[in-house]
Amino acid sequence: MKNKKEQINNSEPSMAVDIGGLILKNPLMTASGTFGYGKEYAPYIDINRLGALIVKGLSLEARKGNPPPRIMETPCGMLNAIGMENVGVRAFIDEKLPFLRSFDVAVIANIFGETINEYKKIAAILSTVEGIHGLEINISCPNVKRGGIAFGAHPDTAYEVTGAVKSFTDLPVIVKLTPNVGDIAEIAESVEAAGADAISLINTLTGMSVDIEQRAPHLKNITGGLSGPAIKPIALRMVWEVVNRVSIPVIGVGGIIDANDALEFLIVGARAVQIGTANFINPRATLDILEGIDNYLKRHHMKDINDLIGTLKDGR
Amino acid sequence: MSDVMSMVVGEIVLNRELVPRHFLMRVKLPASLAIPLPGQFVMVRIRGRIEPLLGRPLSIYAFERDKTALVIELLYRTMGKGTFALSRLKPGEDLEILGPLGHGFDIFPEIKKIVLLAGGIGVVPLSFLASHYRKLPTNDHRIIAYLGAKSADHIVGMDRLKETCTEIKISTDDGSSGYRGFVTELLAEDIESYLHGDSVIYACGPRAMMKRLAELLKDQDISCQVSVEERMACGVGACLGCAIHVKAGGDKTQYRCACQDGPVFDIRDIVWN
Repeated sequence: MKNKKEQINNSEPSMAVDIGGLILKNPLMTASGTFGYGKEYAPYIDINRLGALIVKGLSLEARKGNPPPRIMETPCGMLNAIGMENVGVRAFIDEKLPFLRSFDVAVIANIFGETINEYKKIAAILSTVEGIHGLEINISCPNVKRGGIAFGAHPDTAYEVTGAVKSFTDLPVIVKLTPNVGDIAEIAESVEAAGADAISLINTLTGMSVDIEQRAPHLKNITGGLSGPAIKPIALRMVWEVVNRVSIPVIGVGGIIDANDALEFLIVGARAVQIGTANFINPRATLDILEGIDNYLKRHHMKDINDLIGTLKDGR
Repeated sequence: MSDVMSMVVGEIVLNRELVPRHFLMRVKLPASLAIPLPGQFVMVRIRGRIEPLLGRPLSIYAFERDKTALVIELLYRTMGKGTFALSRLKPGEDLEILGPLGHGFDIFPEIKKIVLLAGGIGVVPLSFLASHYRKLPTNDHRIIAYLGAKSADHIVGMDRLKETCTEIKISTDDGSSGYRGFVTELLAEDIESYLHGDSVIYACGPRAMMKRLAELLKDQDISCQVSVEERMACGVGACLGCAIHVKAGGDKTQYRCACQDGPVFDIRDIVWN
């Protein structure tokens, strides 16, 4: 028989977090573009245990994507230039969403447009269907000629897209920011002013890799988006900058491979984390990280993950 | 969930250089792993290392199974930092293995002439395929292998092919073994004998070889399946990194994933230019 103190210490910590009105059972999300439409990883992971599943970025019409080679490994990271290949929002609703509805998980649609009007239309379409719990506005993809980063690189256009999407949906809206800017906190303030319910950062950093024998870029697109552990310190710094400037929840993304990485983001102030490239190297990465956070909370006698978020001690 | 598969830990039991830059690796895995089919591959990572970051897709060369373990054989060529790191590993070290993955070769038991066209390390899935055909109950297939390599000291997989194939024809770029020239030229000399509905061609090798094969077969009535190679990150169709350009009816084309939709495709479905 355990005494009362031991019982408290051994009880499961609460992992629930509130992301702009969307209550998640835990802060572990799959980053868009790294988990397909969910079905690809369903044989490897119990999807019901995720906090949220963010699907591959959706455009109004299907997109073919960029020619191969599309990926290249770099030191502790990878470059990709997929080019927003996706089935289009209607095919997603008809062919992919029914499968996701069978799970008890928050499904967040990442949306992408070449014009503000396209963002509005996709938001309107997704807001009328059952099984979508939130939208993530992609204004940060570096691999397309039009749209994406073109909107996310300037506070005014970021404001405009966010406001436009907000006026066409009642769903919680997360805006995903690009690190390829001078002052990411300025963009964050702008999308907060436009009504964003939450912010996720960072998307990939634009990078390049050259085949010295061929004297040619490894990627057909020449440049690509860098992800993986190589970008984690940058992502962490940017999350820290942004949480100090906005009041809405911030979701940390960028190079999180294990629970220690995720804990750094939570301590700095991220209310949730997205796992991206780590899914590719370990389909169970999200759940392994979740278990690691759970162990950390128990080790530090914390009953609620919210007691940990934003507890960074300054001035060391 | 009972149907959740997972990445498994495999122990290296052999990792030996056969000819320069070509290594044979045997990996012991849990017996619960699905039996691989010819043309399938596994994603291989070195356990506990963050560098190289991504798994490497390696084609399955052979397998053995008993009640306690599944032992798979991987024959690979060092190409970059991932395969080089693999080549340094010793027996007893652990790998993380995801698989078997992908859509392998279609098997046609009723077709009696099985033609294999291998360029270099492309022999790996074709050798597995030949042994699969040899194990079919009928076992009356003529298996003819065309094996191309840069030079005599780059030829791998001959010992296994000798056990399964009826005939093996060799070509090398420098003429140091067999015919001097491209392996597709060697096949072209015999192609007439395969055009009577009783043959199927399977190919794996460099893109230039497969493109020449596509041109050779352009107006010929013979089915041909090819196994393609692309850089991959996930191996399961999530990252969309391993795009293969394929025809989609009329003048339309689209990208398919080498990992999930392939790595085996009909040669006529691929856009080679």
